[in-house]
Amino acid sequence: RPRSEPPLCPPGPGGVVVPRAGLKKYVMPPDYSGIVFPEKTKLKFMDKVPAVPKVRREPRQLRDIRGPSREATDFTQGQYGILALGGGYLHWGHFEMIRLTIGRNMDTKTMFAIWRVPAPSKPVTRKSLGHRMGGGKGPIDHYVTAVKSGRLVVEVGGRCEFGEVKPFLTQVAKKLPFPAVAISRDGLQQMRQEEEEKRLNNQNPWTFERVVTANMLGMRKYLSPYDLRLKGRYWGKFFLKHRV
Amino acid sequence: AAAAKMAALSGSGAPWRRGWLPALQFVRRGSKAVTRHWKAMHFQRQKLMAVTEYLAPRPAVPPRCLPPRKETLEEDNGYVRLLRRQVEEVFRDNRMIAICQYNSMPGEDMVMLRHYLRKHNIEVKFVLNEIVRPVLSQSKYKNLLPLFVARNILLVSREAKAKEMLRVLKGVPQINLLGACIHDTILSRQGVENFAKLPSLEAAQGQTVGALALLPSQTSSLLQRGSAHLTALLDQHIRRLQAGETGSPAEPAPAQSSGAH
Repeated sequence: RPRSEPPLCPPGPGGVVVPRAGLKKYVMPPDYSGIVFPEKTKLKFMDKVPAVPKVRREPRQLRDIRGPSREATDFTQGQYGILALGGGYLHWGHFEMIRLTIGRNMDTKTMFAIWRVPAPSKPVTRKSLGHRMGGGKGPIDHYVTAVKSGRLVVEVGGRCEFGEVKPFLTQVAKKLPFPAVAISRDGLQQMRQEEEEKRLNNQNPWTFERVVTANMLGMRKYLSPYDLRLKGRYWGKFFLKHRV
Repeated sequence: AAAAKMAALSGSGAPWRRGWLPALQFVRRGSKAVTRHWKAMHFQRQKLMAVTEYLAPRPAVPPRCLPPRKETLEEDNGYVRLLRRQVEEVFRDNRMIAICQYNSMPGEDMVMLRHYLRKHNIEVKFVLNEIVRPVLSQSKYKNLLPLFVARNILLVSREAKAKEMLRVLKGVPQINLLGACIHDTILSRQGVENFAKLPSLEAAQGQTVGALALLPSQTSSLLQRGSAHLTALLDQHIRRLQAGETGSPAEPAPAQSSGAH
């Protein structure tokens, strides 16, 4: 919208206002003073199989996908990153995709990237194709890392703006097995603030949390004991962003 | 699980046999808690989710009907502060400040104008309204505010040489004098012209001194008027006597007149 004349001159005939140029506002260049570059600016290569491969086959334990993440929820070194908005497993193919895409698109002189997820360590078994049920647990097929919602996958930083970094971060985020977005520090803070505001100015007197904690109408019969903690925002591995 | 249920239902009496916990039966059917697909929710849960949805606040007057609140930028960068300080200095240092409307002039004409005005020690300053207006509104020059609208320039000088300024500006049609503030007095265009017609300070001072000194200068002549009149009469008388007695000695007459003094 063009900047209109301040109320000094009334508009001329026909309501025509000729916009004038005012004082030029010089934008200060961004301040990159507090940025520490790690030794290797590119993403480290992640092994397919850990150095000591696991012998004992582990149970599935899908609870490492369920619910909000407790680790790697905030930025450490970088300014921009990919935030997971759902739970899922990342295997070596995903890691390679992330490493190569980011390595291809970023400028090693001015930017750096760091992993916020560990290398795959959880063994996943698969039975060979075409066999009937039974015959014991299958052998280990590959390794994965579990990612819960609200966790950062990679962080990117350096002397760069969000606009430069966003295209390839969104490109990566779309290819991940769970919904993810590219965000900056400010974006994350704003997201949390908006959630908080939403929670506070909710006009609905009945909230999931309230109903569950008081066990109104015996609803806990149909809900899981984990819903006390998850408060209706998580269902399985999915994160319901639109809820309260 | 289904078979157990059917057996329980088809059993004798009430279907709720002792030791049959309905909660366990719900756990055995269906998939695990965390699935790759979107697990279908129990209808009661669906109802609960529908009831506990977020309701956005709805104020009585929607915000789009209210006047838009302008988020004023409180940044106040150093450049603005510098310009404001310069404007304040201008208003403090100079005796004469004339505000003129500025229509776009060719470059060389502008240079010539500046040159002529510089000869009379008048400087041309371009100011931005958005800087001058706040400065003026907080100083004592509030009545100059209506002049700072649209493009304008300031002609400032230490001495108030209004006549030369008007002469130069008359030759430039693109600059129109709007008003001036001379010696902390706000004058309109007419007032400036009148001010230009006034004699210079020295001349005015001389005139005042002359007017004041007029009466004292007459005092001595007033006091001496009587004796001067007498002297003149006597001189006239002597001349008449001399003219009448050309042959008689003139000694006793001058002696008489000098004795009379």
